[in-house]
Amino acid sequence: MPGTAVLTALIALACLAPAGCGTGDKERDAAAVTERFHAALERDDGRAACRELSATAASAVEQEEGRSCEEAILRLDLPLGAAAGASRVYLRSASVDLADGRVTFLSEGPAGWKVSADGCTPTTPGRPYECELEG
Amino acid sequence: MRRFLKHNGLSLAFLGMFLAALVFQAIAGLAEFNDEQDMHGDPHVSLWRYLTSSAFGAAVMENWQSEYLQFTLFALLTVWLLQRGSPESKELGSEGRESDEDQLVGEHAREDSPRWARVDGLRRRVYENSLLLVMAAIWIGTWFAQSLTGVTEYNAERLDHHMETLSWLEYLGSANFWERTLQNWQSEFLAVGSLAIFAVYLRQRGSPESKPVGASHHSTGVQG
Repeated sequence: MPGTAVLTALIALACLAPAGCGTGDKERDAAAVTERFHAALERDDGRAACRELSATAASAVEQEEGRSCEEAILRLDLPLGAAAGASRVYLRSASVDLADGRVTFLSEGPAGWKVSADGCTPTTPGRPYECELEG
Repeated sequence: MRRFLKHNGLSLAFLGMFLAALVFQAIAGLAEFNDEQDMHGDPHVSLWRYLTSSAFGAAVMENWQSEYLQFTLFALLTVWLLQRGSPESKELGSEGRESDEDQLVGEHAREDSPRWARVDGLRRRVYENSLLLVMAAIWIGTWFAQSLTGVTEYNAERLDHHMETLSWLEYLGSANFWERTLQNWQSEFLAVGSLAIFAVYLRQRGSPESKPVGASHHSTGVQG
């Protein structure tokens, strides 16, 4: 029946919204990057932690601290070894909840997911989070 | 074939224009999307990636839903509301669903009437309202699709700005959803209203959307 065809087409169209369908792998990938990043911080491996940062986040850390990324990142008050909780992916942006209540933000580029902000806490509702590390 | 083209010229012409406009919208939309990617230092996406993105989906759906809302309301309101002098309106005094005799249903149906116009009961009730039902179903479906593609795009932007995301229900109450919806609705209502009133005083010779050129301004429900 024409009505069934129309309904099917509309549901198919709605599933083109990536967050509506098939984002499970992306959420797991974003969570994995988050855990790798915090595990590197816990073992004081600044180089490994900086490898998980986006270019803008790494550059921001170096500029603020006046040191190389691998030195500067260990001086920040970031969650060490934090386990990843719930994650959300919309298109090429993601956020991952951490066990200590803070949030990590990530962006997806050619090299995969990279941390764009970390140690983030909510402020006024409807306003951006306040982050210890921000690119 | 020539007969088919001649008898279906109007729908074929609009189908062709729709497809052409959609193709060019995709091309222009891809260029704009990649301009924004450059602004964010992100890599360009392919045409296929753009066509399957929420950005393209939301842009298409928000326009489709308003068009089908326009047709839904036009089909519904012209049953009861009149516009003196407009060819878009029924004649004065004929507001309402009209008699079975006027509508050629049931015992008043003709031999060439559609089958469901000749029967009684639910099937005839459904067929009597089939135009409205299909238009409204497409409107609701495309509005729903707009909300899904819209919430994805909006939440991606919120995450880019290190903000909390909204659930789909929260998005339905957001300024972003209603701004995108209402910016389309206002133009549709303006267009239909304009046609209804312009056609009272203006003419287009040969078009069924117009009264005959020599028809008076107050003649209502007359087509050229």
